[in-house]
Amino acid sequence: MTLLRQYLRALLNARKLLIYTFLLSFGLMIYTPFLIIVFRSVGRGWFGRMWLPPEYTLDWYRWAIEVTDIPGITVNTLIIAALAVIMATVIGIPTGWAFGRRRIPGKELLMAMILLPRMIPPIAFALGVAQIFYRLQLIDTHFGVALAHVAVCAPYAILVLSATFEGLDERVLEAAAVCGANTLRSFFHIVLPLIFPGILSSMIFTFTTSYNEFTLTLMTYGKDTVTLPVRTYLAIGEGYWEVTSAMSILLIIPSLVVLFMIQRQVAPEKLVGGFKGV
Amino acid sequence: MKSGSTRRTALVTLVMLLPGLAGFFGLFFYPMMVTVVRSLRPEGVQVGWTSEHYISFLMEPRAREVILLTFVLSVGATLLSILFSVVLCLVLRRKPQGNRFYRLTMLIPRVVPGLIGALGLLLLFGSRGWVNLFLIEFVPFIDEPLSLNYTVPGLIIFYFWLYFPFTAVTTLSTLEALDPAIEEAADVSGANRWQILRHVVLPLIMPGILAGSVLTFMAAFGAFSIPLIAGGNYRPLSVEIYRQINFTPARWSAASARAMIMAVLQVAFLSIYMRILRRPVV
Amino acid sequence: MPDYMIELRNVTKRYGDVIANDNVTLKILRGELMTLLGPSGCGKTTALRCITGHNIPDEGEVWIDGRDVTNVPTHKRELGMVFQNFALFPHMTVFANVEFPLMIRRMDKDERRERVMEALRLIRMEKYERHYPRQVSGGQQQRVGLARALVYRPKVLLLDEPLSNLDAKLREEMRFEIRDLIDRLGITAVYVTHDQAEALALSDRVAVMNTGHIEQVGTPSEIYDYPQSRFVADFIGLSDFIEATVSSVDRAAGMGVVRANGLDIEIPAPPSLSTGERVLVFVRPNDVDLLPGSSRGGTNVFPGEVGKVTYLGDRNDYRIVVGEGLELRVQTDGKERFHEGEPVKVRLPATHCRVIPD
Repeated sequence: MTLLRQYLRALLNARKLLIYTFLLSFGLMIYTPFLIIVFRSVGRGWFGRMWLPPEYTLDWYRWAIEVTDIPGITVNTLIIAALAVIMATVIGIPTGWAFGRRRIPGKELLMAMILLPRMIPPIAFALGVAQIFYRLQLIDTHFGVALAHVAVCAPYAILVLSATFEGLDERVLEAAAVCGANTLRSFFHIVLPLIFPGILSSMIFTFTTSYNEFTLTLMTYGKDTVTLPVRTYLAIGEGYWEVTSAMSILLIIPSLVVLFMIQRQVAPEKLVGGFKGV
Repeated sequence: MKSGSTRRTALVTLVMLLPGLAGFFGLFFYPMMVTVVRSLRPEGVQVGWTSEHYISFLMEPRAREVILLTFVLSVGATLLSILFSVVLCLVLRRKPQGNRFYRLTMLIPRVVPGLIGALGLLLLFGSRGWVNLFLIEFVPFIDEPLSLNYTVPGLIIFYFWLYFPFTAVTTLSTLEALDPAIEEAADVSGANRWQILRHVVLPLIMPGILAGSVLTFMAAFGAFSIPLIAGGNYRPLSVEIYRQINFTPARWSAASARAMIMAVLQVAFLSIYMRILRRPVV
Repeated sequence: MPDYMIELRNVTKRYGDVIANDNVTLKILRGELMTLLGPSGCGKTTALRCITGHNIPDEGEVWIDGRDVTNVPTHKRELGMVFQNFALFPHMTVFANVEFPLMIRRMDKDERRERVMEALRLIRMEKYERHYPRQVSGGQQQRVGLARALVYRPKVLLLDEPLSNLDAKLREEMRFEIRDLIDRLGITAVYVTHDQAEALALSDRVAVMNTGHIEQVGTPSEIYDYPQSRFVADFIGLSDFIEATVSSVDRAAGMGVVRANGLDIEIPAPPSLSTGERVLVFVRPNDVDLLPGSSRGGTNVFPGEVGKVTYLGDRNDYRIVVGEGLELRVQTDGKERFHEGEPVKVRLPATHCRVIPD
């Protein structure tokens, strides 16, 4: 290699070094908060200025599970999430079908409207939801909390499902009819398999949204419907960082599982919850 | 098509839309209306109209502080997000080693519950946290831990951490949608890397950046759980609202008034921002 | 000593397992228009991008105007380039687009304006200076691209399939405009295309490329009349190929006789031709004459039967079987019509038959 080529390679490498340092810092920036929670959740005697705890223990997890009834709270969270998913999907499928397959006057406006609950800070309409629920005695019920969640879950479901139905090619159905399938068979053998990934996707989004939802839960929960996010919040208020950390790790597991599962399929834009035409 | 079946199709469509519309009205619109009405009623009473809640809040010297704080946090976080996202996306678009991993990493703050992120950041930036340990050990003039939590700059960093993905994702997709031939044309015309960035790339991706930053701003503006646990004495509008209903007896009207002010401010800002976006890019 | 403006010296460029340019050497004279012609994947665009600097060769050197520019970054090479999809800056007006290179070079504002207007006048688009690219047609966009490439008076203009995105009629018009512009400015140009009609019409010389290497370099008529390989013969125009064995050679007359499919064909003999050699003979279908079956015989006149016939209006295209199953494609000017199954006589004029070297 000529001297010039070597010189240019070196310059390129300096540049690369900068880039990789930047990316490394970025990775650190995102992951160290979680890392430190993990260490906090298993550390004993970590008081002074130390990088890592001197001893390790699972006591905090034990505490979380036994004393603070994490299993019970997890069950609550899951029940509520399941209810929210069902309701959001029940809303999402017909709405998504209508948006995806029919021409509707002012569709864009309607779409923007449907997405409003994700744009207005939840605290604003959570106030109204709380007041209505008090009157209807839906506070501290699994159904009530789930219903509140639907306000922020349904928009996701509708978004995903309209895209799913829009992608359903009319011609495939026609081809099935030509091949001799009646409506019922067509539905089970053709339509269902085609829309299933979309439904699954929307269910996953909805589940994650409800599982992680805090603001609306805070306004509609009671002693029987404590969810993991709310319990974590309360724990932070109590100031026991170790137990709180343990709780947080337990809280975070489903999100990460979901993230891992869908990372191959879904475009990042959808996950972030943006929408067209901002 | 016979008119009968068109009418039937329309009917079917309407029926299909009913659950969604019902959900929207029942879970969003009606509650918003309730909040509006409540904000205009005297506290604890079901009848009568009054604007005292709005007036008393806006007259408070604290009101200005609270609103200013909310804006400072949101604008600060948004600016930081834009700066960071642009650099990150310019790096990522060349698909360096580990590129898929980093694109996924970009999404993490949006997929995990905000509370957890806030907890982690609190621990990280605390007086015994790794950031302070790092600063004390490696930066010569820092001997005592810096107080980063519960400060405005600290909060801005927290907001940025949580909400930059909105900006980053749209910036990245806009960047990757750029026709590479355009940059090559600038290259051949004699522009070096920086000139291409400045005159060609940045102007062309600005709409995408701004669109994404709107989402960041709105999320930061309405952020609740974060300032709740990490705001300390600094309470942006969302926390102010919650505070009102934590009094005994709960001050629903006062809270509602503040919520309406917040909603109006957000819509106003959004409209101004959109107007700026519509102007042709220089 | 020939004055070469651009030289690719033993350039090799690999993408993974694919060798896009395989030890390519090409010399382009000052002031000439050289076209790189070939099917997709042949390496012509890669070679062009080695000249522009968008590709750095893995091996070999690139020389422009007497300088080794192999490691010089693109923006310092002082080249002009026109792109297939025009690549105009969508956020700038036509004026600003053309002004851009001058602004980069920190030219003073008034001088910039003068030069830009001069360039716009050259492409007859002065009236469009405030328009945006999306507001003008494809052909106009390409002209703006030309103006932008030429406004800073580079010594070399590179064109990467500039007309492929235009419709056929526009393509023909633009062809002449481009050639005219290049002639007037006396600039050296490298043109890349897969359209052989374009290449033959425009170029001073053509380099035919195939799978990463250059098959032949020559003037359009050299390429057309004396292809040096089967690929070139096949790629340019239509060809009939005859695999034959040399029966005899008359060195004095420069002629030879080859035998193929039971026929004795007289052909011009290149000096190296020897008896018994297996050769590939080719002839252009429109150089072959078709005579009625009743005609007299003669040198290189063979009886045959008409197979498929396609009437093309101004031409007729025939598949004729002669000898022992040799199918020849013949094109005539359409004045005489022969029908399927009709016996005819095929004449292969000896001067139009060529031997393709191995």
